[in-house]
Amino acid sequence: MPEMSVFPGVTRRDFLKICGGLAALIGLGQAGAADVAEALEQIAKRPNVVWSLFQECLGCSVNLLQSRTPQVATLILQQISLNYHEAVMAAAGDEAAQNYWDTVNGGDFYWIVEGAIATKIPGAMTVHGETSMDIAKKTYPKPKATIAIGSCACYGNVQAARPNPTGAKGLAAFLKEDAGVADPVVINMSRCPGNAEDMLAALTYVLVYKKLPELDSVGRPKFLYGALVHDNCERRAHFENGDYIESFGDPHCADDWCWFKMGCKGPVTYAPCPVTRWNGHQSWCVKAGPCIGCSEPNFWDTMEPFYSPVPNIKAPGINGISDSKFTGILVGATAVAIGAHLVGTAVTHRLRGGGPLEEPSGDTSDGGGE
Amino acid sequence: MAKTKVVIDPVTRIEGHLRVTCVVENGKVTDAWNTCTLFRGFEIFMKDRDPRDVWHYTMRICGVCPTPHGWNGVRASEMAMGVDKMDDNTRLIRNMMEASQLAYDHILWFYVLNAFDYVNVPNALKAKPKTPTLKAVQEQLKGFVAAGQLGFLANMYWDHPGYKLPPDLDLELTAHYLQSIEMQQIANDAGGVFLGGKYPMIMNYAPGGCTQLPGIEDILTYKQRMQQVTDFVDTVVVPDLLAIAPYYIGLAQVGKGVGNFLSWGVLDEKSQDPYDRVFPRGGIFGGKLVAEKVDPDETKMYTKTSFFPDSLGAGKHPLDVGQEPQEYVDLAPITGNALPNAKYDWTQAVRYGAQEAPMEVGPLAQMLLAYLAPRPEAVQLVDSTLAAVGAAGHPEILISALGRIVARVLKLKINMDNAQRWADELLANMATGNIAVNSMPEVPDSGEGKGGWDAPRGALCHYVRIKNKKIDSFAAVPASNWNFSPRDDKGVRGPVEEALVGLPVEDPSKPLEILRLVHTFDP
Repeated sequence: MPEMSVFPGVTRRDFLKICGGLAALIGLGQAGAADVAEALEQIAKRPNVVWSLFQECLGCSVNLLQSRTPQVATLILQQISLNYHEAVMAAAGDEAAQNYWDTVNGGDFYWIVEGAIATKIPGAMTVHGETSMDIAKKTYPKPKATIAIGSCACYGNVQAARPNPTGAKGLAAFLKEDAGVADPVVINMSRCPGNAEDMLAALTYVLVYKKLPELDSVGRPKFLYGALVHDNCERRAHFENGDYIESFGDPHCADDWCWFKMGCKGPVTYAPCPVTRWNGHQSWCVKAGPCIGCSEPNFWDTMEPFYSPVPNIKAPGINGISDSKFTGILVGATAVAIGAHLVGTAVTHRLRGGGPLEEPSGDTSDGGGE
Repeated sequence: MAKTKVVIDPVTRIEGHLRVTCVVENGKVTDAWNTCTLFRGFEIFMKDRDPRDVWHYTMRICGVCPTPHGWNGVRASEMAMGVDKMDDNTRLIRNMMEASQLAYDHILWFYVLNAFDYVNVPNALKAKPKTPTLKAVQEQLKGFVAAGQLGFLANMYWDHPGYKLPPDLDLELTAHYLQSIEMQQIANDAGGVFLGGKYPMIMNYAPGGCTQLPGIEDILTYKQRMQQVTDFVDTVVVPDLLAIAPYYIGLAQVGKGVGNFLSWGVLDEKSQDPYDRVFPRGGIFGGKLVAEKVDPDETKMYTKTSFFPDSLGAGKHPLDVGQEPQEYVDLAPITGNALPNAKYDWTQAVRYGAQEAPMEVGPLAQMLLAYLAPRPEAVQLVDSTLAAVGAAGHPEILISALGRIVARVLKLKINMDNAQRWADELLANMATGNIAVNSMPEVPDSGEGKGGWDAPRGALCHYVRIKNKKIDSFAAVPASNWNFSPRDDKGVRGPVEEALVGLPVEDPSKPLEILRLVHTFDP
């Protein structure tokens, strides 16, 4: 069977002939055929996307299936060529693996990674007989851009919670610490699950501007992760007024009062949740309960207990919230979150100075290893 | 005669990471092994955590079914904190959340995860569409295929003779596949998004109760969205099942499995008695259609065939087993003749009771137990289905690959009918001034609790033990732990392994039949 071009019913050979004719027509001569072919193919082809699943729960993919901007059917039929996604693709087994490596070795693709890399027990995560370490190491040099969706692929997430039994790491940390990549370039779209609509916004940024968005010190696009949840929260006015929900089931839940006293981690969490929201931009966590800080590296260890208030935040109407038992942990979390972002007065004026503020280190390590 | 090893790795269109190895002789599977190729270690890192936080962790066990994992986590921990019974509003809110999850899950399974095993998408190009909608879908498909980028449809066994549908049905089912994506979103919107904040990973549970009572407008939105989904189930999903079943009636003869069925039950009535649930708790043993009482504490773990020390399991209770993973894992190579090693799975084998029975879990178990209970809505649906296929009075014919598919759709229908009832009961409570949801209990020095509430794909139970106000031991025994159990310490196959044995395979290089059968268990 002759190799087909990107246009319906036209062989590659005939396609190049047509391009030669077009090139001659616009004054480039026969030598311009390749340029014309490339330009035409760019318009006609849907960008190839490969979506890897490693140590994950499929939550990010399930969120992708909830995407309405664009609607999923439009996305996979008209906008991208989803050549590999274990939960969506028809093929299985050897044929699935062949789809993966054919696309990866072709080089013309975007790589989306969901899930952490198991480094201490490499066999804790294998696909088609290869460990996540080997697959990631072989794939990383090939794509046009790499996006880590969800906190697993970004920072290791739940399986990296102490004592991190499998040595789960985010992709960038794995590449740097275990694969010898000096300065890995990964766009981190953290949160648990990853927000697929925001991830598609980041992918669109790369496709349109043909460059990476500006990233913060933990690898997240600043245009999405530049502000605290707290600063854009629709309940912020209630925080300022000292209108706090005092217990679950409190009648003031119906008045949309502030979850701060119930443990909301919005004051130390950088994410666009209140702005871009979730599931077709319809809702977000704070409508239903306090934020648990899922966009921050190692949030399972730094943000818990989830139902205890963040200490060292100057909260209107509360004198000296300080649970000494947990202060040590949470001051650390606050410092990491703050230090990572060079934030201005919006946050720092709320700090009582209990915790040391650190300069951003620029290190993308998630510290998820042993 | 020819003896062929067949390995499918990765098994796609599932949650998780799975390898299946079969030996095919004379056109039939003669032996089978299933291997989970992922380990994360929840039992290890849950230790010493704050008991109030358990449910946030457990939802991350499965991003496809976080809501029942949330229910089990929150119930196990609140029971360990001394909350024996939920307040009635909490019961109803949790039921509404579960019904929303269940609707999305079964629709997603029927189309996105399962359809490509039966619906030949390229064959839909040959259809002669009768409606403008079907014509538009066909045009879209034509453009997609002609562009030479088959994307997510590439490299499937599309030329396999096992695809039986005429082109017109292939096109119609493909159109419904695309429509189903929007319908599962609407199902999730109802509970997950408008009551739970977002989906997946909801936010409105809390030990003791729920974070808040939903607003009336959110409850009405719930009812409206669930009604949209009900209409889709009645006018599209059920007719689709009836349309394709005659072409695949041979599936009623394969995949019978172990004949033991287990459900912890799901969807609480006012009594909160697990035997009184819409899908009641119970066990069926040896294919004998009698419902017996079952106890989550009779769950026993074995580790001789998994990547843990042999003696770790030895029939112990989940809370007493824990996890000590091997650091070196030796999987048999995919190519060559080598069969799986003695240790071949990250899943620990789980068996029930003194008889150490491997148990099938999932919609077939849930429907059989609802039928036997008897729950009137289940009896009516099962009997009318049996009559329609000329098998009135013979519910045992459901014990097959086809039966699992039918049971999942019937269960979806029952779920939709009850969803409106939970919402109405909650509104009725509110109308009488009952607007209470319990608040968070104090964490005691010590305590023990367990869930026992089925996920859409089957029996799920979380166990929690508190000591010194911290998690001392945590264990999760999810559905795939039962269905995809490896061999136990005595070498007895797990339910999926057993169901695969005897399965006819037309072409071992294109093992469509194996993929189908594995998918009927919704891994």
